[in-house]
Amino acid sequence: MTDQIPVLDRAVLAELRESVGGDEEFIVDLAATYVAEGGDHIAQMQVAASAGDAAAIVRPAHTLKSSSAALGAMRLSEIARGIEMAGRAGDSAGLVQLVADARATWDETLRDMATEGLTQ
Amino acid sequence: MTDVALIVDDSAVNRQLLARHLASIGIDAREAGDGKAALAALGEADGQIGVVLLDVVMPEMDGYETLAAIKADESLRNLPVIMISGVDELDSVVRCIRLGATDYLPKPFNPTILAARVRASLAEKRMRDLEAEHAARQAELLETIERQKEELSRFLSPQVAALVATPEGQALLAGHRREATAVFCDLRGFTAFSDQAEPEEVLGLLREYHAAMGALIIEHGGTLEHFAGDGMMVFFNDPVPQPDHVERAVRMAVAMREMFGGMAAKWARLGFELGLGVGIATGYATLGRIGFEGRYDYGMVGTAVIIASRLSSAAEANQILLNPRAHAAVDQLVEVVEVGDLTLKGFARPVPTVNVVALRELAAAATTA
Repeated sequence: MTDQIPVLDRAVLAELRESVGGDEEFIVDLAATYVAEGGDHIAQMQVAASAGDAAAIVRPAHTLKSSSAALGAMRLSEIARGIEMAGRAGDSAGLVQLVADARATWDETLRDMATEGLTQ
Repeated sequence: MTDVALIVDDSAVNRQLLARHLASIGIDAREAGDGKAALAALGEADGQIGVVLLDVVMPEMDGYETLAAIKADESLRNLPVIMISGVDELDSVVRCIRLGATDYLPKPFNPTILAARVRASLAEKRMRDLEAEHAARQAELLETIERQKEELSRFLSPQVAALVATPEGQALLAGHRREATAVFCDLRGFTAFSDQAEPEEVLGLLREYHAAMGALIIEHGGTLEHFAGDGMMVFFNDPVPQPDHVERAVRMAVAMREMFGGMAAKWARLGFELGLGVGIATGYATLGRIGFEGRYDYGMVGTAVIIASRLSSAAEANQILLNPRAHAAVDQLVEVVEVGDLTLKGFARPVPTVNVVALRELAAAATTA
């Protein structure tokens, strides 16, 4: 169902660019921050999922949801939202699969960001 | 001074983006990745931070705990806190506002909304700071006034101290004429005593004398103008009108003479002969503030004052001398002995003077009213 959501929403990205007055240097810098911390969040979620620790997955999922949305990575944001909700509900059964989806979408996101010129 | 905001969010992306938006509206940003770091930053900033942008979900110490800690800290209580939240977190926003948060900022950030909310919070903070500053200054002022009143009442007679605090007091202080009774008293034998006695004995006697006489002045409602060593001047009928002002003056003088008799007996055993001499005169006088900037007395000026002073000097030990006007007012109250026409310095005509020997029975006094 998340397949309907764009990996990288160009409209959100356009809005972000406009909100900083078209400062491309800042956008690239922000994207670098996102890549660095997003990678950490994915790794933390993988650890929590394989340990079946629903509570520990909430925070990285929550933060990834939020920072992804800021950069227009809407599909990953939505997947992270699902993981956060599952974590809050204490539902650890589907976590491994959800995190695998997140991981795959993360890779797609990075590819799209590179295409968009956001990352080197 | 540049406004400073503290961004508290565990997402570096969010911090970076918020800092950028704040910079574009001229606000400096400091950043903290969790609640503990935020409290540390607030402590270090020493009041420079004007607003906090606070995320809810954070490691270590979350938004609720951080908010509660800020609101529990006396020095941070007035600091506006804007919650950062996603649209799906409105429940937690409501909870935070109940905990004392000022506002909330939805994610993703809209720079216009961000600017409006941050500026509104900063303005509110400035207002609260001004209010707090004003209240503190007001409290300080009140405290100063109270302290000065207390300080003042130690130097002034109770009547004058009370007068200073009232609006009518201003007019009275400015000066007015009225009939009043002046009482001067000083000690016979004091010069010899202070010459021979040890300084500690002299001060000890004066303390005892002032304490005893002071109590009698207050008891009879006299206004003490001044103490000067063994001498003192008291007047009646001002600033508080006293229809029986002469009677009060005479009763006070008689009580003083009795009181001093006991003290003198003690000193006599040590070989010092001391006696009280009192002069009382009634007449019209000018009363009000006398002196110069920084050192004013509430005083009485007029012929009666000079006569009372001269009579006090002329009085022998244990004499209470009255001028004719004072005598006439208490004629029925007192047993007197004529002293005769006294020639007083500065007065062309001699003053017929009487010495009060005793008060008549109170019953007899009542019929004179």
